[in-house]
Amino acid sequence: MKTYFQIIKNTWAEMMMYRLNFVLWRVRWVVQRLVVYFLWWAIFANRQEIFGYSQSMILTYVLLGSIVGTFVLGTTTMDIGGVINQGNLSNFLIRPVDFFRYYLARDIGDKLLNVVFAVVEIAILVLLLRPPVFVESNIWYILLSVVAVGIGALLYFFFSLLLGFFGFWSSDVWSPRFLSMVIMEFFAGGLFPLDILPKPLFAFARSLPFFYFIYFPIKVYLGQLSVISVVQGLATGLVWVGGLWYIAVLVWKKGLRVYTAEGK
Amino acid sequence: MRTLFKYSSLWWLLTVNSFQIVLTSRTSATLFVIAKLLRFVFFAVFLFALFAGTQVIANYSLLQAVIFYLTFNLIDTATQLFFREVYRFRQQVVSGDFDLVLVKPSSPLFRALAGGADPLDLIMLIPYVSSLVYAVSRLGSLHITTVGLYILLLMNGFFIATGFHILVLALAVATTEIDHAIMIYRDITSMARLPVDIYREPLRSFITFVVPVGVMMTFPAKALFGLLTPTAVIVSFLIGIAFLLVSVRVWGASLTRYASASS
Repeated sequence: MKTYFQIIKNTWAEMMMYRLNFVLWRVRWVVQRLVVYFLWWAIFANRQEIFGYSQSMILTYVLLGSIVGTFVLGTTTMDIGGVINQGNLSNFLIRPVDFFRYYLARDIGDKLLNVVFAVVEIAILVLLLRPPVFVESNIWYILLSVVAVGIGALLYFFFSLLLGFFGFWSSDVWSPRFLSMVIMEFFAGGLFPLDILPKPLFAFARSLPFFYFIYFPIKVYLGQLSVISVVQGLATGLVWVGGLWYIAVLVWKKGLRVYTAEGK
Repeated sequence: MRTLFKYSSLWWLLTVNSFQIVLTSRTSATLFVIAKLLRFVFFAVFLFALFAGTQVIANYSLLQAVIFYLTFNLIDTATQLFFREVYRFRQQVVSGDFDLVLVKPSSPLFRALAGGADPLDLIMLIPYVSSLVYAVSRLGSLHITTVGLYILLLMNGFFIATGFHILVLALAVATTEIDHAIMIYRDITSMARLPVDIYREPLRSFITFVVPVGVMMTFPAKALFGLLTPTAVIVSFLIGIAFLLVSVRVWGASLTRYASASS
């Protein structure tokens, strides 16, 4: 356990090494949030309600979605494809650390640091912009949404690992990741609540794991889902986690068989 | 004239090389094109869904919003087509390879800016331009003046985008930071996927005149709809010229800070 705490600390040190890079990354994050926020703010200029959402609901969705997105989608597993392609994976294989746990620890470090900054930045934005924000009073919805965020984070971890494992079979790891990011960004619901989509498209979105990244946890927080829907959603999310975990382990084992430490 | 010919030949040579490099991996190129197409379609789906619930936004109809969105894509993609090399510039500065560019008898700015055109963006221009032509044809009667003004303002938008890319290069020379800077530029310009008029003050003025995203991407379409005053047209061109000149000056200043530290 001590080893993995040290990995978390190392991840923080690594991220703080290039300060300007980190500052600009945060600036970019805030700009992205502002773009989405102002878009919805503008849409509600002369309206009280749209698609069944009040202004406070949608702005809460957008602002909270930013923090949830930061936690769920923050990852260091992006570099796994490169690690495999350059042969650096050999360094992991001879160390007494589990590859999956190593990256999980790195991801926890990455997520915690980003969430701390995101919470502070969102708090500043809320103070400056004073948007009408919906505050959930039901503690159960809050707790269940936290559980949903955890499930989403695990889901994305295994999903991103799988994308990285493409590196075992191809030196081109960026294009499949880029394609998956485009699809994921849309179906995760970071820009808008997915239920504003036409019904068939929404039904399709529900069948994807991305549904549990941002949209589902926030809908739970907003209290817009029935208890049965919440339980069903959490159960389905867990099934996805189990499924992707199983596939990731399988692909990892198959990948190691073809790994040749090329590049070292 | 000789200089123009020299740089045209150089650009052609660099572009052919760049195209060959990108097209070496056909699978990768195909996946990128599919991803770009999906990104385009996804936002269009959002736009259509939005208008299904609102009918109009800031007095603009769905067709007008689509033309704003296509204009945004046209300028954004044309810029990436010509200036893709900017995304690779950091490596040159960090590794010190930029020294090799500086000693060559050609403009380092030209090489850093336009040294690696992207064929995938050229492919993407086909659906964008054809959709735009179709959408504009649906507008009904168009005056030759408004169409001419639209094209001129598109070019003006391209000059402003050029200015932004030069500023990013200058920042890279001074600080080696480029990746986030260019993405911040793209995030801010993404606000112009919808007309900047929809945003409230003071944001609207800020992204129209201070960071001239509105002049770059919203004004051309507004001119096409006959919604731009003559004063606004003149101010747009003045902003475009001034922005480009200032960015070239900043680039010159940044070069004096280049330390060739990694060589």
